[in-house]
Amino acid sequence: MAAATAQTWSDSPSQVGSDAPEYSIPSLFTSDPPIRDTLETGSSRVQDATLDECLPFLTGYQHSECNAHGLPHLDRGRHINFLHKQLGKLPGAFTSADPSRPWFFYWCLAGLSLLGEDVAPYRERLIETVRPMQNALGGFAGGFGQTSHLATTYATVLALALVGGDEAYDVVDRRAMWRWLCSLKQPDGGFQMALGGEEDVRGAYCASVIISLLNLPLDLSPDSPACSAGHTGLFTGLAEYVRRCQTYEGGVSAKPGVEAHGAYAFCALGCLSIIDSPHRAIPRYLDVPLLISWLSSRQYAPEGGFSGRTNKLVDGCYSHWVGGCWPLIEAALNGPRGAAANPGDHPLPRAMESLSSRDGLIRYILSCCQDQSRRGGMRDKPSKYSDAYHTCYVLSGLSAAQHKWDLVTPRAHESIVAGDVWTVSPYMEGEQIFDEEDRVCTVHPVYVIPQHKVEEIQSYFATKSGF
Amino acid sequence: MPPKSKGSSKAPNPEPKEPLHLHPNLIADLSPSQAAPESPLPQTVSLRSEQRFFRTNPCEKRRQDVGLSGLTPAEKKTYTYTHLILPVANRHVPLSNKAEREFWKHVTKEGLPIRRLPANYSWGKDRSGRDIGTYSPDELEQRTLKHARLTALQIQHRQFLSKRELAAKKQGAEVSSEDIEEEKKRRQTMAALKRDLYGEITGTLAKDPEWDDVIPIPQDEPEGALAQIAYPDDYAEAVSYLRAVMAADECSPRCLRLTEHVISMNPAHYTVWLYRFKIISVLKLSIPDEITWLNQVALSNLKNYQIWNHRQLLMDYYYPVIEEETAVIRTLARSETAFITTMLAEDAKNYHVWSYRQYLVGKLSVWTSSELGSTQNLIEDDVRNNSAWSHRFYLVFSDPTDSTAGSGPTEHDPKVPDSTIDREIKYAQEKIALAPQNQSPWNYLLGVLAKGGRKLATVQEFVEQYVSALGEEMEEVTSSHALDLLAKVYQENGDTEKAALCLRRLSEKWDPVREGYWKYRATLLQGAVESA
Repeated sequence: MAAATAQTWSDSPSQVGSDAPEYSIPSLFTSDPPIRDTLETGSSRVQDATLDECLPFLTGYQHSECNAHGLPHLDRGRHINFLHKQLGKLPGAFTSADPSRPWFFYWCLAGLSLLGEDVAPYRERLIETVRPMQNALGGFAGGFGQTSHLATTYATVLALALVGGDEAYDVVDRRAMWRWLCSLKQPDGGFQMALGGEEDVRGAYCASVIISLLNLPLDLSPDSPACSAGHTGLFTGLAEYVRRCQTYEGGVSAKPGVEAHGAYAFCALGCLSIIDSPHRAIPRYLDVPLLISWLSSRQYAPEGGFSGRTNKLVDGCYSHWVGGCWPLIEAALNGPRGAAANPGDHPLPRAMESLSSRDGLIRYILSCCQDQSRRGGMRDKPSKYSDAYHTCYVLSGLSAAQHKWDLVTPRAHESIVAGDVWTVSPYMEGEQIFDEEDRVCTVHPVYVIPQHKVEEIQSYFATKSGF
Repeated sequence: MPPKSKGSSKAPNPEPKEPLHLHPNLIADLSPSQAAPESPLPQTVSLRSEQRFFRTNPCEKRRQDVGLSGLTPAEKKTYTYTHLILPVANRHVPLSNKAEREFWKHVTKEGLPIRRLPANYSWGKDRSGRDIGTYSPDELEQRTLKHARLTALQIQHRQFLSKRELAAKKQGAEVSSEDIEEEKKRRQTMAALKRDLYGEITGTLAKDPEWDDVIPIPQDEPEGALAQIAYPDDYAEAVSYLRAVMAADECSPRCLRLTEHVISMNPAHYTVWLYRFKIISVLKLSIPDEITWLNQVALSNLKNYQIWNHRQLLMDYYYPVIEEETAVIRTLARSETAFITTMLAEDAKNYHVWSYRQYLVGKLSVWTSSELGSTQNLIEDDVRNNSAWSHRFYLVFSDPTDSTAGSGPTEHDPKVPDSTIDREIKYAQEKIALAPQNQSPWNYLLGVLAKGGRKLATVQEFVEQYVSALGEEMEEVTSSHALDLLAKVYQENGDTEKAALCLRRLSEKWDPVREGYWKYRATLLQGAVESA
């Protein structure tokens, strides 16, 4: 563990004041990084300001109550309350969220599930709310009378899966959905976010999640714009499109040729893990060592959290976008558990230990990302307000840091889009720095909703191979 | 109403002595002076109703105060008779003819109120949720007058509409401009009245005769919908009209104005942007005009990204039109770059701006030294601006004249001239020297070496400047990225032991938060040995 080593090597004094309570915090997470350049630029100024902002929280100084490791507890009740409120009536200041309301359904229901709440009581209300958002020509829009969009469709399908039940699943018009996805598929293999909208890796991920949860046919309808390039299926050329988005830094960009960005790394890995089992698809299409190098560079000390790009600041939401990459990367490196050896798909050695500092991330999340006022919710960093988006993705990142996922059995054949069997267990290596009451529930590493919710919706639609 | 029984027909004055008004709605015309002199003037309409209730229900107040048993026999009789009026009238109480005659005779004689107000009359609530019962009588009168006024205006409004319809069918007189002016004023007054009385949405569109033929489609939202937003009235109105014209697939100048209206209130509304582009292409509107307008919107909405997809759609649409005119393309590229520079001055790492810039370079073939120079300026401003470094990489290694189409970002591309590789290595090294712990130029350097198919050892000497006495007591490292690259250099040289030392020191001292990664890198070294 990084923490244990840090204590042994460091001789620099911890910044915890002499009157502060004695917490066991490795100095790695309380002091300036070992190397700092003197040249000042815009980037270094905001980075320094972020350190100043986070250190009082990281040292425990800012918290009224901490455990022996200097960490405040997870303010579960307040976060639950915050998420319930975000699903209720919202004031006019939320008007800019008018085109993205389905995201609120997903963020809040996923966040509540991570906090151990039963979200099934929202079933009826969710069904009635999303019904007018579905368009006859397929897909769900951000709201009634708007154009269907892959992001809001993704969020709606996941929200329906979260509340569960046949009635919820049956809201989706699968035939129209399939036709609409065919119309979004592009000649270069990727997906547009909406008809006439932008094409990026989000589209690749959202489309593959929707297709694999609803068990949609993979054939391409003959009027799809992708047919002109010889594509015959929704997934043909998709992995190659994702491959083109890996950059010289090793990370993944929104579209080929731009800057690597954490959110797109997760989308790329998620998409590939749907196209085929991660130990086959990820090494086949991405330069894994370079990707790991870039992902690992996203973690900063003393903050402990992840940034989204080189020389950008830590932000709680990357706890998921970058933190959520690690289970998929580990599955890619380790392959199915219990297999005699790597099945020869790639020459990379297994990852025996965690590739990132789980403790660092847990520290950043519990110390810096919780709004500990009555408002509750999780945030980007201490100077920012909490919101549903950050609450969902910070909690998802916390869950990934607290647990270990293993791919047990890969799908029977690479041509089917479901069937990978995963197991999850609490991460047990080293001393646990958070109290057991602060453990959150788990979500599927690809779909980011509880594993049994994925199984339930997939088995419901498994019986419907046509429409 | 009492039946025309013999008793009542004989009664000389079937109405009670007191002035009584039956339905509370009709009370409005009852001036307070007509109230019984002993009652104080009521402050509110519900107090007034209460007074009237007691006046039309004799002995009710007394009964409430002293109870039924406390009443005098005469009061008790009055009270009972009053309460029997309705049952007797409706024949719920069977009386002999004689008894009935006696009953009505008594009622008439005493002047008992035949029709009475019910207790606790509910006045309902107004649009702001205030109980109308708490209005003063004056306020209620004003409200009633407004209702009457609105009704009158609605009649005139309907007359205007039918006149205009007839005129359109050439069956009636033309609608004069005075008529239109009058109608405009009328609608403003009606809108104000409706807003006042019912809180009804009456934004600019409902008042605007141009939108008369459109029936807005309001938000279809079930009771208890999740994350329901309390939209401001003008926004709710505008998107209701938007839904209507989109459903009708109308692409007209007024729709273009409507999209602008919606965008001004909510630029994140992706649907309105896609619709706007459709209108522009259907009406074949001027793209330069649209770009000028868009610049203003973009500057006041720095974080918005719908703007950039719209801009890209405009370029895709416009490019084939000007494809042949090199000068026009060059001017357009210059003005676009100038605008991008303005946007980046506000936020030098704005992802959407850089994505658009990358798109523009490919679309308009801006593989120019001035584009490189302008990107370089941003690196000079902030050598840690990784977006600028990424754009530089794209500019240098995707230029179709000097690169292989489809070459991956980490692939060796023999088509890239050696001089370019040399220049880029030198540039990265200069920038590393300014701030060695800045990862951007290190990543860039590795990328350039891969493109050039150069051995990492070619930069070994440069890298070693930042690491001295490794593993010794006087160990000095001024860049963890140098140590990282050095590990790769040693690995390439086959010196796995030294490579392992670099990784160990990174893990122990120079970048310990990435300990797990450095340890994994060490296992990669072993893999290399085994496979060697």
